[in-house]
Amino acid sequence: MIERSEPDPPKRPARSIQVDGRQMPFQAGETILEVAQRAGAEIPTLCHDPRLEPAGACRTCLVEVEGQRRLLPACKTPAQDGAEVRTETERIDRHRKTLFALYLTDHPQDIEVAERGAPNELLEMAARYEAPRDWGFMESLRDNRDADRNPYIHFNADTCISCARCTRYCEEVEGVSAITLAGRGAETTIATVDGLSLMDTTCEMCGGCVDVCPTGAMGEKMPLTREAKPERELTKVRSTCNFCGVGCQLDLNVDPDANDGRGQVVKVTSPPAGTTTNDGNLCVKGRFAYDFIHHEERITSPLVRNDAGELVPTSWENALSVAAAGLHGVSERHGPNGLGFVSSSRCTMEENYLVQKLSRAVFKTNNIHQCAAT
Amino acid sequence: MSRHDAASVPDRLREAGGLLEGVARDIARETGVPEAHVWGIGSFYHMLSRSEAKVRVCTGLSCLLGGAQEVLDAAKAQGLPVEEASCLAGCDVPPAVLRDRRTMPHVTVEDVKAAGSDWSKLDSAAAPGETEWTGAVGPEGAADGELAIDLCKPAAPLGAAFKAASELGPEGVIDLLEAAGLQGRGGAGFPAHIKWRGVAGQAEQERFVVLNADEGEPGTFKDRECMLRRPDLVLEGLAIAAHAIGAKDCYLYLRGEFEVPLGIIRRMIDEAHASGIYGDIHFHTHEGNGAYICGEETALLEALEGKRGMPRIKPPFPVEVGLWGKPTLIHNVETIACVPGIVERGGEWFRGLGRTEAGTKLYCVSGHVGQPGTYELPLGVSLDELVAAAGGYVGELKAFSPGGASSGFLPAERRGDPLDFAHLGGLGSMLGSAGVVVLNDTVDMRWAAAQQLRFFEAESCGQCAPCRIGTRYLRESVERQARGDDVDGPLANAADAAWQMNEGSICGLGQAAPLPLTSALKYFPEAFEEETSKEG
Repeated sequence: MIERSEPDPPKRPARSIQVDGRQMPFQAGETILEVAQRAGAEIPTLCHDPRLEPAGACRTCLVEVEGQRRLLPACKTPAQDGAEVRTETERIDRHRKTLFALYLTDHPQDIEVAERGAPNELLEMAARYEAPRDWGFMESLRDNRDADRNPYIHFNADTCISCARCTRYCEEVEGVSAITLAGRGAETTIATVDGLSLMDTTCEMCGGCVDVCPTGAMGEKMPLTREAKPERELTKVRSTCNFCGVGCQLDLNVDPDANDGRGQVVKVTSPPAGTTTNDGNLCVKGRFAYDFIHHEERITSPLVRNDAGELVPTSWENALSVAAAGLHGVSERHGPNGLGFVSSSRCTMEENYLVQKLSRAVFKTNNIHQCAAT
Repeated sequence: MSRHDAASVPDRLREAGGLLEGVARDIARETGVPEAHVWGIGSFYHMLSRSEAKVRVCTGLSCLLGGAQEVLDAAKAQGLPVEEASCLAGCDVPPAVLRDRRTMPHVTVEDVKAAGSDWSKLDSAAAPGETEWTGAVGPEGAADGELAIDLCKPAAPLGAAFKAASELGPEGVIDLLEAAGLQGRGGAGFPAHIKWRGVAGQAEQERFVVLNADEGEPGTFKDRECMLRRPDLVLEGLAIAAHAIGAKDCYLYLRGEFEVPLGIIRRMIDEAHASGIYGDIHFHTHEGNGAYICGEETALLEALEGKRGMPRIKPPFPVEVGLWGKPTLIHNVETIACVPGIVERGGEWFRGLGRTEAGTKLYCVSGHVGQPGTYELPLGVSLDELVAAAGGYVGELKAFSPGGASSGFLPAERRGDPLDFAHLGGLGSMLGSAGVVVLNDTVDMRWAAAQQLRFFEAESCGQCAPCRIGTRYLRESVERQARGDDVDGPLANAADAAWQMNEGSICGLGQAAPLPLTSALKYFPEAFEEETSKEG
């Protein structure tokens, strides 16, 4: 008979690594960064985006792994069973301080320039890790694309850190590949074929490059011309894009003081990747076509024509009964096929369903169409 | 877009005359590679992005000591389309000058003057026309079996060592390499048999052999001589490697400036293919387009695939995930050229040829010596012995680089130390590619360090910040200091920047780039005390 006086030793999960001494189970294929983030470790990243293949290029996420001579990029290194990872050591602290100090020698010193348009993650990290700021300054050798006449996307090469998040997003998520890393060494920049305007390339103006850029080098043209405040002074209001039925979530960035204190939408940003169904992606309409919101000709209440044929504001109740009476009148005078219904691709699927039901079941006609159907 | 179409992009750009307007779009249409990517690829390689420069004068340290600046100035004065080039692997024949894709030795101011204003007429009186020039090599008259390679012997008929390897079988060949103790001769000194066994043991059956002939480390030109004089050993070694690891295709990546070696290698490949001596093993050549970083093995693989030559993050290593994601054995020219001898004469024989480590080694010597050239000596000889073989010192020895720019500088006191992988590594330097550059006491070490920093800055691929920014930062710091622009010391942060480059860079270029400066500061602090720098 086997005596079992000792309790079973605590079971170690099938696969686990240690992160700063804490045992963390992981699934095959997870990177050190993913596991460490679950463990609550703070690892800075600049070139990383969960939607993209890891690049390991910005070097901010280097960590120590027991038995490895060199520091390893957490974003690119697969977790391996039994690995001991350290994210807070003297060596890593020196690494972060000196790396950010070098970055800053190649970055605009003027905070207003460096923060134009978007939060600058590099500056935030340099401050958080107390990187020295007295290493001097070198003028950027990166080519701009100032002559690009496209209306939406501005590339400010001075603040570019060549992390290639934009080019990788353009290729891997959008499948467009309109922009590329070009040149090499200190002249490495983001370029289009032949230096053309984005308008003359495969670019679809989705603005994903603007969204993924950690420093705001890829920025939006419209706020620049409107002298908008830095993004951190704006209020974000979550909304649903109404350009089509997909239902992308977006954040209206409101300047509360603008428009005589009534507030004004000065920019649209996408919620962080992984938080909404559109996974941080938007298209040209959702991201850039928001100027209708405050347009002076925007219709903000129902209108019906008076006897003189002029449009005058009215209540929804009245507007709907006028419309219903008109539709019934046509049907009675000309029969059901005297009517036709055209729905909008800005409606949701459910709304489109209801329109066709209205057409077929209520007005007894199959003359129903939707503008995206052709 | 097929693998082949994507890989053809650099070649197509070259055939189109470089990255001229409209070219990228045409190539995108022909290959299916996105047009922006074609642009990005073309802009990476200097011989494609700056195709208007038809003449390139090497301004590496050895060529500057050999009069490169005067040649460059003369070419500029005559209005030739000229620019500075990073090392052309002609440090023994300074100054080396590239005309289109042909590297010419010993180009003089008189040669430049003779060309007038027509770049295509520029020729070297030392090797005019289509001369298949070679550099000095030694030792001459070695007995059979005394040297692993022996550059002085004529090329041997192909096939004998391959036949012996076929009889031994793959395992037998790899066991021989292990017994020989062959270390990779491209720079890292990694044991060859571990790589061979690593590839041979992969589950994936499609495998490749790649030859790294992108010789570009300043001070290094041995692979050039190997291909010029013993292309037989190179092909034979590749075929044996392919047999041992189960590969059918061998890719030979030669830097684009190696027009002359490429011609010789191609003739021998044609001969091998025509004779069928290696069965179904095939050789493919690829020309580089002007990027030192492509000598880094994973950058080379990217370039072979037709992309920008930016190093990959390791691991995974090429042994597992290499060319087109397949297991790949990649070796330097000299390493591969050692293989036939090992197969024919055995591992013990090779091991016995060395002094402190296995084998003889091709040492490149340039700078202030009597007869710069490539000398095959037992691995572990001292600088004094090496220089004695190369015609002795010119002037009083002050400093030397034992293994190219990446190895930094060592002081004259180290002249008796063994030049091998382990000992030099222990000194914080390295044997690297054994590109030994000798400097006498006329050289200002701050100036010499600045030249090496300039090289690394020009050749940084730009992928990671420590190297992209750090190489420029250090070069500017030294130049500012030399000008006396020294507000609380521009070199004050050099140690921290150097530490960051070494810790943070993705590949060996950025990791080694600060060494010329940090070693010069360590061994020659007095050179950084004066305000103005004398030109070496």
